[in-house]
Amino acid sequence: MKLKYSLITRRTFLNTLFGGWLFAFFAGTFSALMKFAFPTLGKEPDFVVLNRKDFTDLANNSVKRFPWGGVVGLYFKKADGSVLALKGVCTHMECNVAYKPEERRFYCACHNGWYDENGKNISGPPPKPLEVFTIMEEGEKLIIAKKGVKVELPKA
Amino acid sequence: MNCPKLKNWLEERYDWEGMKRFAKRKLVPEHRYDLWYYTGGITLFLFILQFLTGMLLAFYYVPHIDFAHKSIIEIVTKQNLGWFFRSFHHWGSELCIAFLFIHLFGTLLLKSYRKPREFLWATGFILLGVSIFFGLSGYLLLWDERALAAVRVATGGAGNFPFIGGFIKAFLRGSIDVTGDTLTRFYAFHVAILPIITLLLVGLHLLLMQYHGMSVPLSLEKEKRREIPFFPNFFYKDLMVWLVVLGVLTTLAVLLPPEIGAKADPLAPPPENVKPEWYFLFLLETLKLFPGAILGLNGETIAILMVSCAILFFFLIPFFDQRSARGEKSPLFTWIGVIYLLYFLTMTVVGYLS
Amino acid sequence: MRRIGVVKGLKRFSLFRFAQPMVMALFVMIQPAPSPAADRIAVFPTTPFDAYIIYESLAVLWLAIIGLIVIIRMKLREIERIQEMGIDKEDKDAPLLQ
Repeated sequence: MKLKYSLITRRTFLNTLFGGWLFAFFAGTFSALMKFAFPTLGKEPDFVVLNRKDFTDLANNSVKRFPWGGVVGLYFKKADGSVLALKGVCTHMECNVAYKPEERRFYCACHNGWYDENGKNISGPPPKPLEVFTIMEEGEKLIIAKKGVKVELPKA
Repeated sequence: MNCPKLKNWLEERYDWEGMKRFAKRKLVPEHRYDLWYYTGGITLFLFILQFLTGMLLAFYYVPHIDFAHKSIIEIVTKQNLGWFFRSFHHWGSELCIAFLFIHLFGTLLLKSYRKPREFLWATGFILLGVSIFFGLSGYLLLWDERALAAVRVATGGAGNFPFIGGFIKAFLRGSIDVTGDTLTRFYAFHVAILPIITLLLVGLHLLLMQYHGMSVPLSLEKEKRREIPFFPNFFYKDLMVWLVVLGVLTTLAVLLPPEIGAKADPLAPPPENVKPEWYFLFLLETLKLFPGAILGLNGETIAILMVSCAILFFFLIPFFDQRSARGEKSPLFTWIGVIYLLYFLTMTVVGYLS
Repeated sequence: MRRIGVVKGLKRFSLFRFAQPMVMALFVMIQPAPSPAADRIAVFPTTPFDAYIIYESLAVLWLAIIGLIVIIRMKLREIERIQEMGIDKEDKDAPLLQ
């Protein structure tokens, strides 16, 4: 079908084309700026590799910290001798949690939150339990990984 | 885009239509020299780009003598598009100062500085000085051998001023030599002090320009004038020029990323054949012309004094040029302007080739 | 509008389909060999693929700029046409459609 008269004026057509093109142009430029503004470094790791020797002679009912990316991880030996690796960051407002051996519980001082021995939130504001990692041993290495992540060690 | 509700909302609070009428009423003369009107706009655009990219680079830069050089290498090699934005900031500064000089000489030769626009000239001139200091301070932040040598020479040269030289040198360096203290200082200049001064001066410059309107060259003042509205006609023309400048700048940044030299070592000799940025070459070549001692006085001091006088005279041209202030032709100052321009060009070329 | 037809015709032309890989190969070939001096810091991405992406982005940027300039020129011509007709000033006593 051919219209005798256009419903769109030349001006509207040009304005739309101009606006759209300009928008796309700015979006491209802005995305480049944002790509630089957001850092590439400091993402949360899938797994960390530690030295097994550092953790073998840990006393019962105590924790040892290890770096988990930019935050703290806790290697925890329960009173009964079993081990657990947790992310030592409160699920409420991301404060670091501390282990209280007398009470056998984890404590977050920021807003008085408590977690039990298994990292479950039992009192205070924390909405979720602490994240628990999988522990693997490979010779001299101790690998602590996110649950369900396939660990591929770099060859070297 | 048509939002009558938003328009009404604004109209009830601000005189939106009045502003639009104002923007349409502002006229820009159209004549055979109107190309020069764009140079100021280009400089403004480059300033905006420098501010934007500078803010982003400040996210990653560490202003400390031990980490500055390394942090720039990390920006260039590790961050997303880091190499591009550093290169862009570098080339932006070069183009910015180039266009400032073009704008300056255009204004000078067309005598746009004449009454009543003396303060426009003055603010613009100070902006040029601020920009050159911007360039120097940014150059040092890289903290490589060349930067160290260049800033040593520049601050040392300022120290040759009679009486106040020592104070200037101490103020700029923050210690006896160019050290980590100088780096901290120059960082403060580059990211805090100079940007604020620039914003104020640019604002004043634009306000004054708005107040006086565009200057029309003397030779064309008598002729019948054609004028086009600033908005939308001139605005769109400006936009096209800006787009081309953006394209050229990006191309330069991609094709010629600046090298990073070895980390500065204050005890090492400067690298061979070290040269400052091109906009310092004319000063350096002038200083080379003078012998070490003239009539028992320090030759450097005399040279610096002469150069300062020449720059001061240049700065005060609008107040000396009485003929053009009366609206008459003033060939004397045309010649002075041409001499300044030729001197600047030859000395820069000589410095570049030597 | 006829121009679009030309491009469409070109698209059917089989060489056009290989244009992109060809240009890519060209860029990969003209990449200078990485300089042997190890102490120089790479101020430009070193892999040929990254370099190709960058040059392509640069070309896209120029195309976008040229496109914008063409549109702005058309807009300017339209504005000047309307100004010459003298209908850019809004009618004060135009009846409102409401």
